Amino acid sequence: MNSAPSIPDTTLAINSSTPMSQRVVHYEIDAHYDATKHTIDANEVLTYHNLTGQALDHFPFHLYQNAFEPKATLVREAKLYGARDTNYDQWEDKYYGSEDIKSIEVVGQGDLTSKLHYLQPDDGNKDDKTVVDLPLVKPIAPGGFVQFKIAFHEQMPETQERSGWKRDFVLGGQWFPKVGVWWHGAWNCHQYHATTEFFADFGVYDVKLTVPQFEVVGASGVKVGEVNNSDQTKTLTFHGDDIHDFAWTASPRYKVKEDGVYNGQMGPVQMRILMQPAHWDQVERHEKILRESLEHFESWYGPYPYKTITLVDPEPGSAAGGMEYPTFITGDTSWLMPKGLYGPELVIEHEFGHQYWYGMVATNEFEEAWMDEGINSYTEVKVLDSILGENTSILNEAGITMGEREAQRLGYVSAADLDPIAEKAYDYYSFNSYGGVTYGKTASVLLTLEGIVGKDTMARAMSTYFMRYRFTHPTKEDFLKTIEEVSGKDLSWYFGPAFDGSQVLDYEVIKLDSFPANWYEDQKKTSKKNDKDTVYRSTVWLHRKGDFVMPVDVQIRFDNGEKIREHWDGQSRWTKFSYEKKAKAESAEIDPDHKVQFDRNNFNNSQTAEPNGKPARKVANYWLFLTQWAAQFVAWWAV
Amino acid sequence: MTENKSLLSSGWGMVTHNKRYIFWFWLLNMTLAEFGTATFRNQAHAILDQSLYSDRLVHGFDLSVLVELFMRPEFGPTKAPTMAAVYFITLFFVATALFLPGVFQGYASNYRLPRDEFFRVCGRNLWRFIRLLIVAGIVMGIITGILFGIQSVLVKKAGDSTNELLSFEVQMITLAIIFLVMTIVRIWFDLAEIDVVLSDQNAVRRSIAVGFRQAFAGLMRLLGSYVLITIVAALILIGGLWIWMRLVSPSGVWGAFCVGQLTLLLLLIPRFWQRGVAVAYYQQRELVPVVSVQPVMPEPVAPVVAVEPAVSPVIPDIPPAPQAT
Repeated sequence: MNSAPSIPDTTLAINSSTPMSQRVVHYEIDAHYDATKHTIDANEVLTYHNLTGQALDHFPFHLYQNAFEPKATLVREAKLYGARDTNYDQWEDKYYGSEDIKSIEVVGQGDLTSKLHYLQPDDGNKDDKTVVDLPLVKPIAPGGFVQFKIAFHEQMPETQERSGWKRDFVLGGQWFPKVGVWWHGAWNCHQYHATTEFFADFGVYDVKLTVPQFEVVGASGVKVGEVNNSDQTKTLTFHGDDIHDFAWTASPRYKVKEDGVYNGQMGPVQMRILMQPAHWDQVERHEKILRESLEHFESWYGPYPYKTITLVDPEPGSAAGGMEYPTFITGDTSWLMPKGLYGPELVIEHEFGHQYWYGMVATNEFEEAWMDEGINSYTEVKVLDSILGENTSILNEAGITMGEREAQRLGYVSAADLDPIAEKAYDYYSFNSYGGVTYGKTASVLLTLEGIVGKDTMARAMSTYFMRYRFTHPTKEDFLKTIEEVSGKDLSWYFGPAFDGSQVLDYEVIKLDSFPANWYEDQKKTSKKNDKDTVYRSTVWLHRKGDFVMPVDVQIRFDNGEKIREHWDGQSRWTKFSYEKKAKAESAEIDPDHKVQFDRNNFNNSQTAEPNGKPARKVANYWLFLTQWAAQFVAWWAV
Repeated sequence: MTENKSLLSSGWGMVTHNKRYIFWFWLLNMTLAEFGTATFRNQAHAILDQSLYSDRLVHGFDLSVLVELFMRPEFGPTKAPTMAAVYFITLFFVATALFLPGVFQGYASNYRLPRDEFFRVCGRNLWRFIRLLIVAGIVMGIITGILFGIQSVLVKKAGDSTNELLSFEVQMITLAIIFLVMTIVRIWFDLAEIDVVLSDQNAVRRSIAVGFRQAFAGLMRLLGSYVLITIVAALILIGGLWIWMRLVSPSGVWGAFCVGQLTLLLLLIPRFWQRGVAVAYYQQRELVPVVSVQPVMPEPVAPVVAVEPAVSPVIPDIPPAPQAT
């Protein structure tokens, strides 16, 4: 006798005695992976709890793997606007991916496979099959449950968009039919685009993976079982609580470190690290940054409630590095990685950060990508600055430095005036603009906001936002309201142009002038006087070149060591400050505390009275050396 | 090994006796490069000179400031300074080709080559060198094209392996092989260039043939010498960069300039040394008589009568014995 469907209230995979999210879905998947053909055959039982408050008569599903065919929207967009890893200069068979629902039965309503039909809600591309809709025979009443029994077959592509196989490695990401999210009174189930990521409801996952016995497997959640089968395969069972996606990986060559335990605020967290053999010497480095990221996030934003975090070092040359799934992230490194080049640290911290901004605070990545990528980039700057130093958090090798803070700003500067932050991820001008604005501009705008409200206030606001909205789907308004509430300030003057507009901020010291007030007197006479008695008339002109209006401070420095601070509201296009002093103005600098992080041009924010040719000579000297060396090299071989 | 030592020391002797050539080539290299970097320098001065932000390039080296400099529209496209540098590199290449005949002549002479003779040799061999360089360019182009094509295929194949290092290892091994093959080709054309100059050979094809024959007649000696000298060049470059990074303070622009130029000056020596080795080898080979000459002994003259001989006895002009064969 079948029991009535329900969502389990298990807590096996979390350090909590009660569920932490409002659980909407329960996925039970029994999947068999054919490592030779790179195919999956699976049976999926999806239990859905209708918490929408209204009857539901149809259900849309994501079939993400169908994006990997030449006429699909993702490939079409990638070809036009660029993409993360593959630009599809030429189409190759190995790029094909597909996800076919063989049958779908709705318990109590029978087999409804014939009713499935594809939808293209975003662009109307009839060749895109990444969303399929299922009308029900009988609607599901509010508060009721519905159970779908789905049999599907999947052909995985060679890794694209952080999913698929490469050599004998596989990353199972976005690999099963996944129901959309009922959000703001409608189904939210977008097509898979070149720039989009994902959106799903929280729930419970019970996944059985059958793979060849030689495979080493990692996955979301906790492993609860493993049995060897008679056909040289093994079946591993994983369980996840309060997560909204499930990913897994397998490779016969992973070396595993799983003895690392982080004692979190809610309980111990096992750090399971799957490394490529050629990178094994970097395993401690991986564990260190993972542990430090956990420490910083817990102390700054809130507890990490899960019992595990799996860090995967994916196959070299695969497009699988740098991806986040609940309790499961991929890093990115290479066998040659100097200690002062913090590429692995950057990627691991970023992907771990997504456990908070995406994993727990589960925003809509299709429509508000900045809320996971951008907020995560902001916290990435904060955490990496704290761990590796403000100006050295990306590179600190052989006297050359680079900080993540500036890298984010440069990402934004490369596409400053094309798109606002608050834009659907698939509506950006290009992939570069999506990246520059979603990651770089958001991080820079939030770092500037920190300068406006204060570091401590911003830290409290971020923590409040996390604790208030974890395990929910907050929106832009929720985030911005939280900051206004915690800071006690009306910040609408800033939020409007910063998040909804594409205005560019560019302030410059347009001119700095300083001359003796008695300039008209005989030069010989005046030069006889003590120079200290000479009165100088100094003027500094400031110019707001961009259309982003923001109050700024300016500091004028005089040659007697005196510094004067002025404040300009930035409302007019330009302003000037004049002084008569027995000292000559040496320099003027806008934003001397460097609080404004998204000024398009940092060079024109200051001006000195006397030129200093040293920086130009230094870089020109490098260029000279390179040019001479190249000339010698050519002459060496050619004559 | 002894023979190699002899070649290396003979070549080194030529370099040390003609140090001025290296100095002049370095001066030419630097002067032309100064012109080549003028665009870059002017663009950089215009943006950096009056900004406090650029200070981050002096105290340390903040890469983000440099990246932002390149991104500035007023800096202009990086293509402009790059093209200026490319023009300079081409000019230096042409100048090297122009003055090299004089260098070879100087190396082969056992006296200090007067300036007018140096330039006369340069001018006399200019058109020959142009023809020779065209042939060398074609030969090298074909060989490098083939070798890099093969390398690309092998590296791609290695990339399919589950051993991540294999691709890199294949790349390094194939690069080493390409280096050795190209060094052999370089030896061949170095000897051809020397033959053109020292034999005053107008038919370049004959010099190419001579170069080919000679190169393969003593290939291992020459290759060993050339490779050894290239290693010296690599050590000079590494050492120079190490001193630059470790011993020059980030704000020491003049110190960096001096270390950089000293490194570049020293880097010129190995190539001139290789040319010296080639000249020494060429002289050893080409100036050895084809048939060994036996001293002609005078016929015994019977002391008969005291008659005045009609002619003076022949005293053969015995060539000096070859130094090494």
